[in-house]
Amino acid sequence: MIEIERLTKRYGATTVVDDVSFRVEEGAIAVVVGTSGAGKSTLLRMINRLVAPSAGRVLVDGEDTMAIPEDALRHRIGYVIQGYGLFPHRTVAENIATVPRLLGWEKRRIAARVEELLDLFQLDPGEFAQKFPHQLSGGQQQRVGVARALAAKPALLLMDEPFGALDPVIRSRAQDDLLAIQRRLRTTVVLVTHDMNEAFHLGDRIAVMDRGRLLQYASPGELLLRPAEAFVEQLVGTAERPFRLLSLTKVGEALEPGHAEGEPILLSATLRDALSQLVWLGREALPVVDAAGAPAGRISIAQILRHGRALP
Amino acid sequence: MASLRASLSLDRVGAVIAVLIGVALTAAPFVTYRANRIVAGEGRMLADALPPAGVAAVVLAAIAAAACAALIRRPAIRLAAAALGLCAVFPAVGVSAGFVAPAGNGFARVSPALGFWLLALAFALLAADALMRLRLGPWVRLAALAAAGAAIALLLLSGAWADLSLMKEYAGRAESFWREARQHLWLALGSTGVACLVGLPLGMLGHRIRRLRTALLQVLNIVQTIPSIALFGILIAPLGYLAAHVPLAAALGIRGIGAAPAFVALFLYSLLPVVANTITGLGQVPAAVTDAARGMGMSARQRLVEVELPLALPVILAGIRIALVQNLGMATIAALIGGGGFGTFVFQGIGQTAIDLVLLGAIPTVALSFAAAILLDALIDLTQRGAHDRD
Ligand SMILES: Nc1ncnc2c1ncn2[C@@H]1O[C@H](COP(=O)(O)OP(=O)(O)OP(=O)(O)O)[C@@H](O)[C@H]1O
Ligand SMILES: [Mg+2]
Repeated sequence: MIEIERLTKRYGATTVVDDVSFRVEEGAIAVVVGTSGAGKSTLLRMINRLVAPSAGRVLVDGEDTMAIPEDALRHRIGYVIQGYGLFPHRTVAENIATVPRLLGWEKRRIAARVEELLDLFQLDPGEFAQKFPHQLSGGQQQRVGVARALAAKPALLLMDEPFGALDPVIRSRAQDDLLAIQRRLRTTVVLVTHDMNEAFHLGDRIAVMDRGRLLQYASPGELLLRPAEAFVEQLVGTAERPFRLLSLTKVGEALEPGHAEGEPILLSATLRDALSQLVWLGREALPVVDAAGAPAGRISIAQILRHGRALP
Repeated sequence: MASLRASLSLDRVGAVIAVLIGVALTAAPFVTYRANRIVAGEGRMLADALPPAGVAAVVLAAIAAAACAALIRRPAIRLAAAALGLCAVFPAVGVSAGFVAPAGNGFARVSPALGFWLLALAFALLAADALMRLRLGPWVRLAALAAAGAAIALLLLSGAWADLSLMKEYAGRAESFWREARQHLWLALGSTGVACLVGLPLGMLGHRIRRLRTALLQVLNIVQTIPSIALFGILIAPLGYLAAHVPLAAALGIRGIGAAPAFVALFLYSLLPVVANTITGLGQVPAAVTDAARGMGMSARQRLVEVELPLALPVILAGIRIALVQNLGMATIAALIGGGGFGTFVFQGIGQTAIDLVLLGAIPTVALSFAAAILLDALIDLTQRGAHDRD
């Protein structure tokens, strides 16, 4: 768990981060969004003390970060940046081993951990362990960057536009992979982005920043239904709202009893995916099945549309 | 078919080399003959400089090399042709010395002349061009350097050049030759070494502190523009004062003239490349890399030793290479103020208008610079771990 209390950063007369407070529950993903120069990176870098706060404090699991020696604090917090900052003169395995080595882990334990992480990120250790960063594709470098940040099993992971340099297809795969791994490891994540789709896809909670101030910190649904300021509404995108809302809801929540003809839809799909399928096939309703393939009911256009309205 | 035509088409560098070889064979004397050490010499064309078999061997090797240079693209073959040429012309000039000088005449002098130098230059160019196109790895280049060194040592030790004027100059002063060689190396290597000891920490500080960096580079740039003679002059006063007033300095052999000011001057000159490249190298480390290193909890010392210095090393070594090659050449000037080194022979030779004595000082100087450059270039390649593959 991480608590940010009245955090402020001033450079001379300009306030770059202005009295920001929020809290991220254990195992949750908080996404910080905002336009360029809003102070997102500065906020993130105050958490691991790469930037010294002018006022306010950060508590990690209840402990004031100022009470922890700077390097020791950073050993406990994973950090991934845009461009990843992989060490070009070190192999993939050596890159991933960085923090465990700093912590003085035993050689065998480090090797086992490196292998485990490469497996987790679907990089064949035999093929990739001894490669140098420049021999990897952008997507592979990104995975190595996250693997390196997770090497010493940090409870907290900070990510500053970690997918910014990837093409759309690889990016959405990387987002899904991150979600899967995060659900498995239960790591608390604070992620900075200016891609709203990414924020809605990944965030349990979204913090909207503008000119150093935190405008709203809420769940994606709340952000859509009850935006705190005009700026938030504008950032969320008025035309996109119903579709974002639909993509937050699973088919299971709009299920009707009964049958329908056609290609079945999974219970775990989002309403947005279901709507898209219905429109594409030109049908009013489709059957729904669970993960095992057993029939669970049906989903209809009318029912979906009801979930996309601002007022139910 | 197409590849054959491509490999037989005229090569531009090769054509120039072939023309050089042609001029050397037909229009320039191969050696110069002089009745004694300092009278004016007379040129001997290749045909008169060697016994018929020798003439044939040199001409055949040279024509073969010229043909390969002009017509064949394969670098390995070009290299072989260059090696053949060098292996023919270097022993030949030694044989020529014995052939041209009248038997039993101890005063007669034979030196390589324009024709020889042009042939040697052409073959060396061909070899350098081929080596560059072969893109040899650092270890192979080091092996090639060692092989070339061994070949030269063999040539000299076998006595094949014993009749050449150059070697006669050497024979007369073998002892002082090696003494000056040691002195030359000590001046050049020692001053570069001290420049590294001082320059690396200065560069690291300069990287950290912007104001120091600007001041440092300005001062060193100014030092670099002072002509060496002037710098010696500037150093005479303080070093002379030191010698006169500090007994320890005098005991260490520090005086206003001699090796001490030369050493200090060389040190000052080599400081700029070392400091500037250290600053540049550290500055080139990508910001994302240092940021990530900091974010992962590396201390300032760990970042410097494990990340910044290894990534800056090729650039720093390039600076040391510049300093070393520059100092190996510039140490020649030390002789002007009694500092010793190979320059001693150069300036003696100029004084006596004995060109071979000048060469006795100049050739080892050039050879040393050349070898140092190859050595450090190989080292730079070896330190570029994880850099983009050379292709
Ligand atoms: N070291 C610094 N000194 C002075 N101003 C700074 C410094 N670092 C950041 N700033 C300013 O603080 C503001 C916020 O910067 P920050 O990097 O946090 O923005 P950001 O929200 O991450 O933007 P982006 O989306 O472009 O990355 C910017 O206006 C920037 O110019
Ligand atoms: Mg930023």
